[in-house]
Amino acid sequence: MISLQNITPIDDRTLEQFGFGWHTDSDQSKYIADELVVVSDREAEAYYEAVNKLYDMYAAAAQHVIDNNLFFDLGIPFNLIDVIKKSWENDVHWHLYGRFDLAGGIDGAPIKLIEFNADTPTSLFETAILQWALLKHNGMDEERQFNNIYEAISDNFRRLVTLFDDPAEFEKHYDGWKILFSSISGNLEEEQTVRLLQQMAIDAGFETGFEPLGGVKFDDEGIYDSAEEPYEYWFKLYPWEEIAIEEPELATQLTTIMQNQKAIILNPAYTLLFQSKGMMKILCDLFPDSPYLLKTSFEPLKGIQQVEKRMFGREGANVKIMDVSGNVTESNEGPYGNFKPIYQEYVEFPKDSNGHSYQAGVFFAYEACGLGFRRGGKILGNMSKFVGHLLC
Amino acid sequence: MKHITSVKHMMMGTMGVVVLSALSGCQSAPEEQAGSEESVTQNKFLVVEQQPNGKYIIIEEMPTTGPSRAIIKETDENGTVSERVMSEAEMKELADQEYKKMEEGKSELNAEPQGEGMGLAGTILAAAGGALLGNMIGNALMNNKNVQRHQDASNRSAYHRSSAGGSNSATSNSQKKSFFGNSASRSTSSSSSFGG
Repeated sequence: MISLQNITPIDDRTLEQFGFGWHTDSDQSKYIADELVVVSDREAEAYYEAVNKLYDMYAAAAQHVIDNNLFFDLGIPFNLIDVIKKSWENDVHWHLYGRFDLAGGIDGAPIKLIEFNADTPTSLFETAILQWALLKHNGMDEERQFNNIYEAISDNFRRLVTLFDDPAEFEKHYDGWKILFSSISGNLEEEQTVRLLQQMAIDAGFETGFEPLGGVKFDDEGIYDSAEEPYEYWFKLYPWEEIAIEEPELATQLTTIMQNQKAIILNPAYTLLFQSKGMMKILCDLFPDSPYLLKTSFEPLKGIQQVEKRMFGREGANVKIMDVSGNVTESNEGPYGNFKPIYQEYVEFPKDSNGHSYQAGVFFAYEACGLGFRRGGKILGNMSKFVGHLLC
Repeated sequence: MKHITSVKHMMMGTMGVVVLSALSGCQSAPEEQAGSEESVTQNKFLVVEQQPNGKYIIIEEMPTTGPSRAIIKETDENGTVSERVMSEAEMKELADQEYKKMEEGKSELNAEPQGEGMGLAGTILAAAGGALLGNMIGNALMNNKNVQRHQDASNRSAYHRSSAGGSNSATSNSQKKSFFGNSASRSTSSSSSFGG
């Protein structure tokens, strides 16, 4: 059972003052819970260890996919295969951050991987900033939270330059390279997520710029803002598979830019391998004894309760829960039906006394660096709520 | 618990200051850009931390359109950490005292720094003297080499460290292309969400 501690919420105006404008969902309900999940140090440590282990497993699985040319199995668009391979070959294509979604981890329930949001993770502002602000607002000890996301991602920005060396060496090696940050226009949550990342990069010591996706310019020589200022790095909160499908000419252009070594794109193209839910089948093949994996297959599983998901589905869309006989007991519609399905063994999320389900989201930036929770029904969709946590 | 690290606002960088400023009831949050061309009288939001040797350093500094404020984080002899918000009036009083000492040649700001950290009044005067005491004093502090050396030694904020470097402008004459025509114009639709 999830244990909760009541807190005083931060009023909407104050939230907006520090850049958090998406506090109210479209049904006018509050997006941020007035409670914190109480987590023990031991449970937090277990999340940390699980996610570090899972990331190593993903890296091994990506190598396996590339070595054995399994891109089709993972639903990877053909026009991204070159750019994925190129990005995988060189460490300068550094993975900035991702978020593992997990079941279990509370009250002795084993931690199980639900999926890895490796390319364009959100919930960053909530987990890194907002849940810390809730502790400060309620006069609680700010150190009682598994959350060093801000520092971890800032350090990971520095590693774009220092790679595996100490990020403290950044200033010695940094030569004014600039990062351009982009998100789609008109989506406040995504723009503020990107602007938060931009601030982390500024604090790390980088020169930066922001340009909405539609204003970014490209040619064979590089990537530019609308004033035609060139940038050495481009962070886009826009999925690689959408570029492949909706903007195929850009996919070709980015491949050329990478081949010419004119710019580095974040998150790197290989994160699309991680993002594909098909990777969880590969993980099961490679690590059959891992305690963190749920049985996953490209075909319906026989004789067990399971979940059908789409390779690149997001926020619980196009998800079906099926009973042991294959009857659908719960489902969400969505726009991702054209992607291939995968089938994953069903697991119950931890619940509170009201029967709400909780999914843990653990951010990874070189190592596991912060924990937050989503609260909702059996399928956690885009109307689920964010719940911060407190270590006890 | 040897692995997981919890948060402290010193590690939260600029966003930590923005949030603390909003939570402490500052009229308006600090401006987000860092830069070096600010007016010397620009109001400041400071996070000041006492070091084990009792001296103070600036962890974060941000220009703000609201009144100047400081969060002072101090540790007593038992190791207990306390935080307090210092109002503009209190900051001004301390800065004024220190500036008078400077004029009498009795301030630590008169000499070169002996390592990191200063007294609280010196720390505040060096970082926000112009905002608190006016343009003339601000300019005098800005042009005082010892004050600037103290700032360099005892101000760890990204704002202070950042210097707007000249950047190369694009010289290529090639045809550059933009994309996202369709998706970018979907911005008014509620379904245009690409995070997850």
